[in-house]
Amino acid sequence: MMRKVILLLLLLCFTAHTRGKLHSPPAKPGLTSCRSPEKETFTCWWKPGSDGGLPTTHALYYRKESSETVYECPDYHTAGENSCFFNKNDTSIWVNYNITVVATNALGRAFSDPVEIDVVYIVKPNPPEKVTVTVMEDKGWPFLRVSWEPPHKADTRSGWITLIYELRVKLEEEIDWEMHLAGQQKMFNIFSLRSGGKYLVEVRCKPDHGFWSEWSSTSYIKVPDYFHREKSTWILITVFSTFTFLILMWLLHMNRHNLKHCILPPVPGPKIKGFDKQLLKNGKSNQIFSALVVPDFPPATSSNYEDFQVEYLEVYVRREQELVLEESKDLHNSCLKSESSTSDCDSGRGSCDSHTLLMAKCREAKEGERQTDRECSPMRTEAQRRLKDWEEEALNYAHAGIVSLEMSSGRVKTWPSVFSPLPRYSSSPLDQQSSLQMAKQLSLSTSSYLTQPGHSTKEALGQSYWDLCLSSKQPHLLNPPTPVCRELQAHSDVNISSIGHKRAPAGPRSPALHTTEYVEVQRVDNKDTLLLQPVVQGCGRMGGCFQMPHGEVYSKVKGVDSDNVLLLQREGMGEDRCPCVEQETNEVTGSCHKSCTVSTTQKPSGCIYTAVPVRDEMATMANGYVDTATMCTLHTC
Amino acid sequence: CPLIQHLHLLAQRLFSDFESSLQTEEQRQLNKIFLQDFCNSDYIISPIDKHETQRSSVLKLLSISYRLVESWEFPSRSLSGGSAPRIQISPKLSELKTGILLLIKANQDGADLFPDSSALQLAPYGNYYQSLGADESLRRTYELLACFKKDMHKVETYLTVAKCRLSPEANCTL
Repeated sequence: MMRKVILLLLLLCFTAHTRGKLHSPPAKPGLTSCRSPEKETFTCWWKPGSDGGLPTTHALYYRKESSETVYECPDYHTAGENSCFFNKNDTSIWVNYNITVVATNALGRAFSDPVEIDVVYIVKPNPPEKVTVTVMEDKGWPFLRVSWEPPHKADTRSGWITLIYELRVKLEEEIDWEMHLAGQQKMFNIFSLRSGGKYLVEVRCKPDHGFWSEWSSTSYIKVPDYFHREKSTWILITVFSTFTFLILMWLLHMNRHNLKHCILPPVPGPKIKGFDKQLLKNGKSNQIFSALVVPDFPPATSSNYEDFQVEYLEVYVRREQELVLEESKDLHNSCLKSESSTSDCDSGRGSCDSHTLLMAKCREAKEGERQTDRECSPMRTEAQRRLKDWEEEALNYAHAGIVSLEMSSGRVKTWPSVFSPLPRYSSSPLDQQSSLQMAKQLSLSTSSYLTQPGHSTKEALGQSYWDLCLSSKQPHLLNPPTPVCRELQAHSDVNISSIGHKRAPAGPRSPALHTTEYVEVQRVDNKDTLLLQPVVQGCGRMGGCFQMPHGEVYSKVKGVDSDNVLLLQREGMGEDRCPCVEQETNEVTGSCHKSCTVSTTQKPSGCIYTAVPVRDEMATMANGYVDTATMCTLHTC
Repeated sequence: CPLIQHLHLLAQRLFSDFESSLQTEEQRQLNKIFLQDFCNSDYIISPIDKHETQRSSVLKLLSISYRLVESWEFPSRSLSGGSAPRIQISPKLSELKTGILLLIKANQDGADLFPDSSALQLAPYGNYYQSLGADESLRRTYELLACFKKDMHKVETYLTVAKCRLSPEANCTL
């Protein structure tokens, strides 16, 4: 019995359970949202919970701020299911609403959570209406013009609600939209369109404080094709450039060899003469370099300096008997060069050109350097210089010695200055032998005076002139009755006059020639050396006349005047027979032995050795070798 | 009248700046929090719906706006507190107030400006905020912010309506 009751109860329970849920009071509903479309009305929606198996009713109650009165929703149907619609009369702005939803069924009630709202902040307008899109054209380029209207419910006219709009555009085949904010305006332009594209446009709006509305319905628009004009231009450009490119390529291809030469020039091989590449590869440097040696370079043997051209004084005869010595410009050879330059005494002129240098050298070239000086072949210049020096200093003997030594050496070049070459004197060629003889004679004459210090040698030298002159072997050269006053025309260097100048005051002097001296041109040797031979009356041959002729000694060459006349200065030892009027003192020597100086204007008197009128500027000859000692015309006074 | 537009824009800008200056947290709180049952400006009778607003005259709207702005002139200084530096509201309010006054005087045609004499009541404002306790400062700040926001929106709306009524061409057309 008991078991039956229990079973029955269990069955009942089980039945009740299988039938469904147990009836229960409804679950708590929930307010989902409240919205106002125009800030004048609003609607609230709720979501009901489980009803508990029993029919459940819902009610919405609200309470306004600062009021305890509870109102129920006035309209449950306008807005649809589970909604409450508040109309204009029930809607207050800037007022807080406290809304609650209650679910009721047979078993119970359920209250939702209250929600506080202010209508101002729940405004969500309707989407804009009457959206229109049109294609317009701006200077050939199309654009879209979108226009719309605000939702009809929103009162923007009175300013009650202020809406801002936004639109979006996209091509039909695209995914992403292009957003545009339009502000409060109701029209918008869209540029940068693709030709022939189909566009979709949508618009939405929002109040100044509220929610965005839904997007409006899509508007479709198709942009017409305008691409042809632009495309054709590009096609043309592309084709043209392609053609140009092809032509260029073809040209390059045709000239690829030339280009190759231009860009990558061939590497030149070694052009060293005698360079053997094989040797280089072998790696033996000695053989390589030895192969490069040219056998003939540098020249090992030194040419005979005698072969060098030596220009001497040119002496040519004036009035058949006068010899004009013309000094060439090349007299300025290095006189006293060091022994190192033995081979080319003629060549190095420049260094010895300076007078002072010459002086210094001559000073140095004393007995010790006689030998070195001997080597110097340019005698002419040397003699000139020496003569110059003798004017200034007492180095004459040295020079004389040099000269004499040179003479002794057998070289005939001892007196280049004096024995200037006589190109014109070809008629009387002097053989070597004779010249040599003369040289020897000269040397003999001079050497005798070597021992004599100072000026004696000068005189000896001067005498030697005479000797040479006297011992003339050229009869036709010689003109006994008429003293050949050869006019040596030494431009300046031949300043034999200085010899006599300096010697005058000091030193034993060899007896001067007092008789009328004749200076003859002995000869011109084959080397164009003019050998002068003084004609000493009463002295006879040179060999026997070692004494200075009495009287006047024309042993000095004053200089060479403009007419290329060698002016010899008479060296008057004692009485002066020369009726020379002027006597230009040599300032250096200070002792003019009554040397006859004939001015230019003066006509040479009966002096044999007529000298060409001296120019005033003799002191400063071209080469400066003529010192203040003036030219002197030899007079046969 | 261009002044009204300027004022409207000013009020609008003011409110926007204020809203933008609100922190995220503050905004959340403002949305959650139970709105204040009363604000200090509740005594000022103002139209609360469109109908009433449409019915009110421009002058009335202006005066109400003026009063609202004036009511916040002093308390707005306390709004500068908080976690974030706020914009200077007070000077803008002063400017707004002055502009509204000018507008009122311009539109005043002999009519009485303040039909209700409650404009000069200032005492409740001062005492109202000062009587608050310190422990509820944060909550009070939020409440203050909420009230201010609402009032500013009121002013902006009134000015906009007044503007559209005075110069219908200014963006008020449909």
